[in-house]
Amino acid sequence: MKEKLSNLSNRINAFIESNKKIVYPVLAILILGLPYVGSSQYILRIIIMIGVYSMLSLSLGLVTGYAGQVSLGHAAFYAIGAYVSALVSISFNLNFFITAPIAAFIAGICGLLLGLPTLRLSGTYLAITTLGFCEVVRMVLLNWESVTRGPLGISRIPKPSFLGIELTISNFGLYYLMVAFLALTTLAVVAIVRSKMGRALMAIREDELAATMMGVKTTYYKVAAFVISAFFSGLAGAFYAHMIRFIDPNTFTFDTSIMILSIVILGGMGTIGGMFLGSALLVSFPEVLRFLQEYRFVVYGAVLVVMMRYRPQGILGGQKKTPYKLPKGGG
Amino acid sequence: MRKLVGLILILMMVLTSFAGCQSSSKIKIAVAGPLTGDFAEYGTGFKNAVELMVEEWNKKGGVLGKQVEVVVFDDKNNGEEAATIAEKIVADKDIKAVIGHFASGVCMAASPKYQEAGLVEMSPSASHPDYTKEGEFIFRNNTVINVEAKVAVDLATKTLGKKKVGILSVKTDWGTKTAEITKTLVKDAGGEVVAHQEVVDGTIDFSPNITKLNSAGAEVVIVAAMYNSLAPFATQYKAVNPKIELVGFSNAYSQQLIDLAKGSAENIHFPTIFFHGSADPKVAEFVKAYKDKYGSSPSSLTAQAYDSAGMILQAIKNAGKADRTAIKDELYKMNYPGVTGATKFENKIGDAVKTFTMVKVQNGKFVEVK
Amino acid sequence: MVLQQLSNGLTLGMVYALIAVGYSLVFGILRLVNFSHGSVYAFGAHMAMLFVSMQFGIIPAFILSIVLTGILGIAIDKMALAPLRAKKSKGIAALITTIGISYIIQNVLMITFGSQTKFFPKLFDFGSIYIGGVAFNTTQICISGVSLMLLLILSCVIRYTKVGLAMRAVEQNQKAANLMGIDVNFVVTFTFFLGGASAAIAGTLISGYYQIVYPNMGFVAGLKAFSAAVLGGIGVLYGSIFGGLVVGISESFAAAYLGGSYRDAVAFLILIIVLLIKPTGLFGKKGITKV
Repeated sequence: MKEKLSNLSNRINAFIESNKKIVYPVLAILILGLPYVGSSQYILRIIIMIGVYSMLSLSLGLVTGYAGQVSLGHAAFYAIGAYVSALVSISFNLNFFITAPIAAFIAGICGLLLGLPTLRLSGTYLAITTLGFCEVVRMVLLNWESVTRGPLGISRIPKPSFLGIELTISNFGLYYLMVAFLALTTLAVVAIVRSKMGRALMAIREDELAATMMGVKTTYYKVAAFVISAFFSGLAGAFYAHMIRFIDPNTFTFDTSIMILSIVILGGMGTIGGMFLGSALLVSFPEVLRFLQEYRFVVYGAVLVVMMRYRPQGILGGQKKTPYKLPKGGG
Repeated sequence: MRKLVGLILILMMVLTSFAGCQSSSKIKIAVAGPLTGDFAEYGTGFKNAVELMVEEWNKKGGVLGKQVEVVVFDDKNNGEEAATIAEKIVADKDIKAVIGHFASGVCMAASPKYQEAGLVEMSPSASHPDYTKEGEFIFRNNTVINVEAKVAVDLATKTLGKKKVGILSVKTDWGTKTAEITKTLVKDAGGEVVAHQEVVDGTIDFSPNITKLNSAGAEVVIVAAMYNSLAPFATQYKAVNPKIELVGFSNAYSQQLIDLAKGSAENIHFPTIFFHGSADPKVAEFVKAYKDKYGSSPSSLTAQAYDSAGMILQAIKNAGKADRTAIKDELYKMNYPGVTGATKFENKIGDAVKTFTMVKVQNGKFVEVK
Repeated sequence: MVLQQLSNGLTLGMVYALIAVGYSLVFGILRLVNFSHGSVYAFGAHMAMLFVSMQFGIIPAFILSIVLTGILGIAIDKMALAPLRAKKSKGIAALITTIGISYIIQNVLMITFGSQTKFFPKLFDFGSIYIGGVAFNTTQICISGVSLMLLLILSCVIRYTKVGLAMRAVEQNQKAANLMGIDVNFVVTFTFFLGGASAAIAGTLISGYYQIVYPNMGFVAGLKAFSAAVLGGIGVLYGSIFGGLVVGISESFAAAYLGGSYRDAVAFLILIIVLLIKPTGLFGKKGITKV
């Protein structure tokens, strides 16, 4: 069964590889045309949420999937992005397209502040520290009432508007905005993974000691990955805040962190496609299982357990890697 | 990257497969609330109450000659899920109104959608001051904080006659706002707030707060928290100082408070809009019917959900048609006599105006304070 | 007032210490953060409540709950975690598995018992004792006593029995222990039984103290107990007590002097600071940083 599955996916990969010129344009048209193919706003909202979680898991995937550093507190950066963007846009009456980069930037700085001292910890200890950080961020959001409005949350966050047009779900604006953000995130992650930095991160994941020996500046790369990851999580947070238009500290809990981590692991650590698949499965899961009523979270838990039992490397993880491409003209 | 293609194809197939809904001319009422997760008891209460009310109407021939159907949605008290459900609800043209969402934050994540689509959202529990400001389709059948806080402060300073008041509040939108209003009201009533303690929702250990309140010399503590905080607080406080008087709010008015706190619940005072022992025969009927059907006693919030359903059905009947906008218009005209007292919505704002009954716990039962 | 807050903090600390022991036991052997521990603790409390309500009497209910919860611990290990070890999966897979299990347990508890807060009879209540103006609740004293006794027994088991010796061997080096003829799987299973049993004891005592039980009672308490375990040096039993006390006392003082709503952050702040200064915790052994 397992062999068949990876066999099939290998064949699909081979097919895509050989028909690159057709597949990518078709894919682009499909993605851009999706809202017009008879999908309701309900479906569209789910797809947008899948996009948001794809951004989050892609960014966490950089840290956990490629560099092998487990973070249990990624919801903190998501929250920081959402809060910063919402507050800046309300207090200074700025457009979403200005506040979102600010939010992402500040989330990135928080990533730096957390990353610098903590990334010398490894494994479980790092995981715990990030978990603690996430709780501390939530408490600050709850208690720093003069700025964050505490438990009252922030309501009536303005919708993103582009050239004077408000983007909503019904005019597909939010969908295309999400596609643009997701494309940006994906391209950035792909570029990083294929660069020197990507190879350094994977070296750290496989054997940190060996990587250091080979002259890889491990701390530098780990912190850099963390900052980039925080940046894109912040961007996802900003998007979410302006879409849902109401946020409070309860929006970003430990459960959200777990959800993001589960997507990374379920999809397959160290893959890009896995992040999309994982998000699609875990985000649509509670909706698809709505008929199970109170049992749906029992099933959710069981799926996690069974998945780890039979395919711990994730759905797309652990397949045969494509051979390393040698530069043309070289040796 | 290449795997992406296949994935997105699968994704689209999966998602489009659960689309599609057909339309007919049924009358459906949606209930949305937490049926799973930490707050499931409240969502279940909503569901039970609405089903009971709809059943009563259906027995009498339904509304406008049609049987009413209840559709239930679980939001796990999560804003993200609530917003998704809202999309699903507004897309079903048979659904004429929504009763629900439980926490204010969750209501407010969903309410922009209901307002945009023009569907009445009636929350039996939302307490955030900004909740109804979203628009004219957004209602609540819950008490308004300043009116209720006034009654609570009267209970503390007049009925119990204590001047040194301590406040304990949960750190939620409701608790924070209530504490803030209570503070000013206590001063106006000639009392003194000796200490104010805040706890995060879900706290069960109150010893540091009690030490603080007690050493500040509080004679009465006004507790802005649900039954599951008030009960352990009462137990722990009375172990330290048995003479302390406690005043709660209507959302702690629940049989479970007495079940949990036992003797320590004695003489806790409340303002409430729903009172089991009321002389009103409607109330007795409701309590009996609820107990017969579900085996437990309805709480204040459950009763509010029951009346919410009643108001919406009455609005449909008054309008003479099951039309989403007509329901909204009728609600503003209505003065509904329910189990939580007469309710009306004034000045085109969806906040219910209520009158309060004062009750206290005596010999393990709630009795009216005269 | 300061003394009273100290006494409040001590009791709260003992509560965390009781839960922390379970994390510490499992982590010591497997280097696994057992996220299901919080829900196992809630399970133990619910079982005790169930048996008490079935008129078994407090002591038999207590024992039944300990045994049942211990068995639950074994079941978790045998059904979900042992296969992962057999396949030598990454630690993260086991972590996610325990998260999945906690979802299952918590939701099953919720479906069976309802999400509402339920009453639990008070254990050992003999009123309060006043020493120098500071009130000590007898329940508090009993909880502290029982926790200390429990830790003493556990320490003795680990220090002086054959199983304990095997546990220590597995903790140091699984492979070597296996080569020396130790049944590693049995040791792990036994550890999970101890973890479950200690969770049931903690659950019953704490519910008896606060007189309430609810399905997600293990979540916040679990997270804090876990920081307590890390704080004291995870895998070190007396470290758990110390960590628990530090968390409890600082929380109590934070509630009193910083405003109540900061108290939940304090545990985590201390945790982060300690980890940054001394990653192995206050009493952690050196050289066990493999993950």
